[in-house]
Amino acid sequence: MRLMQLAFLNFKNNLKNYLSLVLSLSFTILIFFNFQNIIYSDSFEVLGTQNKDYIDIIVRVISFVLGCFMFFFLWYSTNVFLTKRKKEIGIYVFMGLTNQKIGKMYMIETSLIGITAFVLGIFSGIATAALFQMILLAVSDIAVEIRFQVRIEPVFITAVVYLAMYLIFVIKGYCNIVKSSVLSMISASRQNEYVRQSTPVLLLKAALGACILGGGYYLAVKEGGQEVMGNVMAAVVLVTAGVYLLFGGLIPYVFQSVARNKKILYRGQRNLWVNSMIFRMKKNYRTYAIVCVLTLCSVTALATGFAMKIRHDNMVQFENTYTFQFLSDQPDIGNQAQPLIEKYSEISYRSDIPVLFLDNVNVSNRSFAGSYAVVPYSGVMRLAEQVGLSFELKEPGMDEVIEAGHLYLLSLLTDRSDITVTINGKEYRQIQETSEPYLGYLQEQAGYYIVNDAEFEAMQPFGQSLYTSNFKISDADMFEAVRDELNVLSSNTEENYTARVAVDPKSNDTDWVKVFYTLCIFLFLVFILASGSIMFMKLYNDSFEERPRALVMKKIGIDSGTLGRSIAAELGMAYILPFAVMTVSSYFSVHALEKMMHTSLFSVRIVSVLIVFAIFFFFYLISVAAYRKNVC
Amino acid sequence: MNENKVAEVKNLIKNYGTRDFTATVLKGIDLTICCNDFIAVMGPSGSGKTTLLNILSTIDKPTHGSVMLDGHDITKISNQDLSKLRRDKIGLIFQDYNLLDTMTLQDNIALPLSLNGVASRVCMQKTEELAGLFGLSDHLKKYPYQLSGGQKQRGAACRALITDPQIIFADEPTGALDSRSGKELMRCLKEVNDSGRAAIFMVTHDPYCASYAKDVYILSDGMMKCRLSRGSGRKEFFDRIMDAQISMGGDFSCD
Ligand SMILES: Nc1ncnc2c1ncn2[C@@H]1O[C@H](COP(=O)(O)OP(=O)(O)O)[C@@H](O)[C@H]1O
Ligand SMILES: [Mg+2]
Repeated sequence: MRLMQLAFLNFKNNLKNYLSLVLSLSFTILIFFNFQNIIYSDSFEVLGTQNKDYIDIIVRVISFVLGCFMFFFLWYSTNVFLTKRKKEIGIYVFMGLTNQKIGKMYMIETSLIGITAFVLGIFSGIATAALFQMILLAVSDIAVEIRFQVRIEPVFITAVVYLAMYLIFVIKGYCNIVKSSVLSMISASRQNEYVRQSTPVLLLKAALGACILGGGYYLAVKEGGQEVMGNVMAAVVLVTAGVYLLFGGLIPYVFQSVARNKKILYRGQRNLWVNSMIFRMKKNYRTYAIVCVLTLCSVTALATGFAMKIRHDNMVQFENTYTFQFLSDQPDIGNQAQPLIEKYSEISYRSDIPVLFLDNVNVSNRSFAGSYAVVPYSGVMRLAEQVGLSFELKEPGMDEVIEAGHLYLLSLLTDRSDITVTINGKEYRQIQETSEPYLGYLQEQAGYYIVNDAEFEAMQPFGQSLYTSNFKISDADMFEAVRDELNVLSSNTEENYTARVAVDPKSNDTDWVKVFYTLCIFLFLVFILASGSIMFMKLYNDSFEERPRALVMKKIGIDSGTLGRSIAAELGMAYILPFAVMTVSSYFSVHALEKMMHTSLFSVRIVSVLIVFAIFFFFYLISVAAYRKNVC
Repeated sequence: MNENKVAEVKNLIKNYGTRDFTATVLKGIDLTICCNDFIAVMGPSGSGKTTLLNILSTIDKPTHGSVMLDGHDITKISNQDLSKLRRDKIGLIFQDYNLLDTMTLQDNIALPLSLNGVASRVCMQKTEELAGLFGLSDHLKKYPYQLSGGQKQRGAACRALITDPQIIFADEPTGALDSRSGKELMRCLKEVNDSGRAAIFMVTHDPYCASYAKDVYILSDGMMKCRLSRGSGRKEFFDRIMDAQISMGGDFSCD
C-alpha cells in the first residue's frame, strides 16, 4: 500500500516534469489512431471501392511504419524515466526498499504515466478525427462530406499496439532496476573506461561505412532496366548500414583527431564540448544514425508524394487530351461522328491520323506485351498543329523510328539508350522519344512509333491499317449524353470495325493518388517532428548526467555564459551531423526518384530540406533551453 | 608590505539561517594575505574553515564586513567583474579533485586558460611546464579514471595555477590522499609558493600538512584563536602546531 502511495506521489511530481514527454507520447497515439481510423471510417467510400482499397493498403503500410516508429519512441521516452529513477535509487535503498520494490514502484509509476498518455491520446484522437480527415481530403482536393463517427476498432487496435509495446519497456525497465547493483548507481562519479575508442577500429568502420554508403548512392542513381527495383532495395539497406558505420566510425574519428590536435582544440569552448561529444559518442551515435535515417525517409516520402502528384496530374491531362476517340477501318469515321457530337456540344478540336497495327515487332530492352503500331511523320505533324501540341521531332530516316510513349506513374526502366526496334525483320534505331499525347488515351494502350512517310507506305502489307479520329468537347457536362449518342457508331463486323473510347473528364478513378500525396505530406511532418523529439529527449536525458560536471565547472570558476556557449555548440553539432548526412543522402534518394518518375523534383528537394532545417532549428532552441535550465 | 596585499578581510561576519533562527558561523575575522604568503587554517570540524575559504574565494558572500581581493571589494563589484576576478586572479583546489572525467589530464589542466581565449600554443606550453613541475609529464594523455588520487590532485593544482593567479585557495587538498601523496602535493605547493608564483591559502585539519605553510592560523568557534609562524625548520614547526592543537583540546581531524 505504501508502495502504491509513493509511486502515486512520484507520478504526480513527474507529471509536471515530464509533461512534454507525456504530450509527445499522446501525440504519437493520436497520429496512430487517426491513421487506423481512416481504414474504418466510411469517408473514403464515396471514392469507390478501388480507391478505398488502395488507400487502405497505403494506410496499413504507413501504420506499420508508424508502429515501428512508436516502438523507438517508447524506448527513448521510457529510458528517460528509467535514468531518472536510477539516479534516485540510492535514496530508496537507504529508505529500506529492495531492488524489487523499487522496480515495482517504477512499474506502477511508469504505467500511470503511460495510461495517462494513452487516455489523453485516444480522446484527443477521437476529438481530432473529423478534423484530420477534413484536412486530409481538403489537401487532396477531394470534396466529401465528413460525418463525426467513433468506431471501436481503431481504438481497440491502437490500445493493443501501444499498450503491448509500452508494457515491454516497463518490464524491461523493471528488469534493469532489479538487476542493477546499488553500488554502481550510488557512486557519484561513474567511471567511464571507454572514453576514447581505438583508432584502427574507427578507421576501419569509417572506411567500410564510406564504401557501403558510396555503393548505396551509386546503386540508387544507377541506370538500368528490370534490375532497378532490386538496386533500389539494396541501396536502402546499404545507405542505412553506411549511415550507421559513418556515425560509428568516421565521426568519432574526426572528433578524436580534433581532440588530439591541441592547436585546434584549445580555442573557444571546444575543449569543453568536443571532449564532451567524444565522451558520449559511443552511447549516442545510434541515435544520430536513427534520426538521420528517419529524416532521410521523411524527405524521400515527401518527394515521392510530390512526384506521384505531379505525375498523376500529368497523366490525367494526358488521358484527357481527347474526350472521344475512334479507331476504325472506315476512312470517314470522323465525319460520321462530328455531327452527332455537335448536337450536344461544340468541339474544341478534332484530329485524324491513319495508324498501322503491326504483328511482328520486337523491341530491345523491353518486354512490353502489347500491340504495336506505327504512324506517319507528316500525319503527326499535322495532328500536332490541329490539337495545339508541341512538335519538336526531326524527320526519321528510313531505318529510324521515334517512340511516342506515354507517362507512367512509376517506371523502373531508367536506362533509355540504344533501343532498337525490329519490325518484320528490319531493324530500326530509336532516335528520339516523346511523351506528347498525340494520340491521347490510345497512346497508353499500345506502343506507337513515328516513322518516315515512305517507310509507312512500305509497311502497309505487314499489318492492319486503321483510321483514328479524335474529338475534344468543350462542354464537359454533356459527356454522358454524347457518349450515349455515339454508341450507334461502335461496330465489330467483317465490313465495319469501329471502336470508341470515351474519357470522362470528371472521373475520380485515381483519386487515391491524391490521398497518397496528402498522406506523404503528413508522414513527412510526423517523421520530422518525431526525429526532433527523439533528439530532444536524448539530449534532455544527457543533461541529467551533465549536472555534476556543470557543478565542477562552476566551482573552478567557469562562468555560466561560457558553459552555455559550450552547450549551444555541442547541441548544435548533435543536430547538424544527422542533418548534413541526411541532406547529402537525400540528394541521391530524390535523384533516384526523379529518374523513376521522370519528374524534376528540384524545388521539392530544396523545400523539404529547408523545412527539416527549420524544424530542427526549433528543436535545437528548445533543447538548448531545456539543457541549460537543467544544468546551469 | 601593503602594496603586496592580495586579499584583506575586515570584521568578517557570516550568518546562516532564516530570520527566525540564525547561526553565526564566523564572528568577526580580520585577515590579510600578502603575495608571498602560505597560510594554513586549522580548526575543529564545523568551526567555519570552509565557510571562510568560500567567502574569500568569492564562492560565498559575507553577511557583514568587507573582503578585498586584488584591490576590489567583492561585496560591491558587479557580477561580471566578479567572474572576471575569479577567472584571472584566483585558483581553486578541492578535496575531491573535481577534474572533468570527459577529458584527459592535459585538457583538464589547459581548460581554464583555453576558455580565456589564450592562444593554443601558450596553453600547451604552460600545461607542459606546470606538469613538469608537478611530476605529471608522463600522465598528460591519461583520463582521470586512469590516475591515482595524488596525481589527480596535483593535476588539479596545475589547473588552478595555469591562469597565473595571485592566490590559490585549497580546501583540505590532502583530505582524500594517503600520507605519501599528500606529502608530495605539499612539497609541490611549497615549491610553487617559494618560487613566488602565487600566495596560498589552505584549509586543513592535518598538522603535518599545515607544517609546510609559513603561517598557521587556528580557527575555533568562528574566531581566529591563534597564529603560529614558521621559524627555523618544518620539523620544529610541526611540533609547535601539535602542541597548539593539544592545548586547544584534541585533534581536528575529519569534517
Ligand atoms: N549552507 C549552509 N547553511 C546553513 N549552515 C551551514 C551552511 N554551510 C555551513 N553551515 C554551517 O556552518 C558551520 C561551519 O561549516 P564549515 O565552514 O563547513 O566548517 P568546517 O569546514 O570548518 O568543518 C557548520 O556548523 C555548518 O553546519
Ligand atoms: Mg570544510
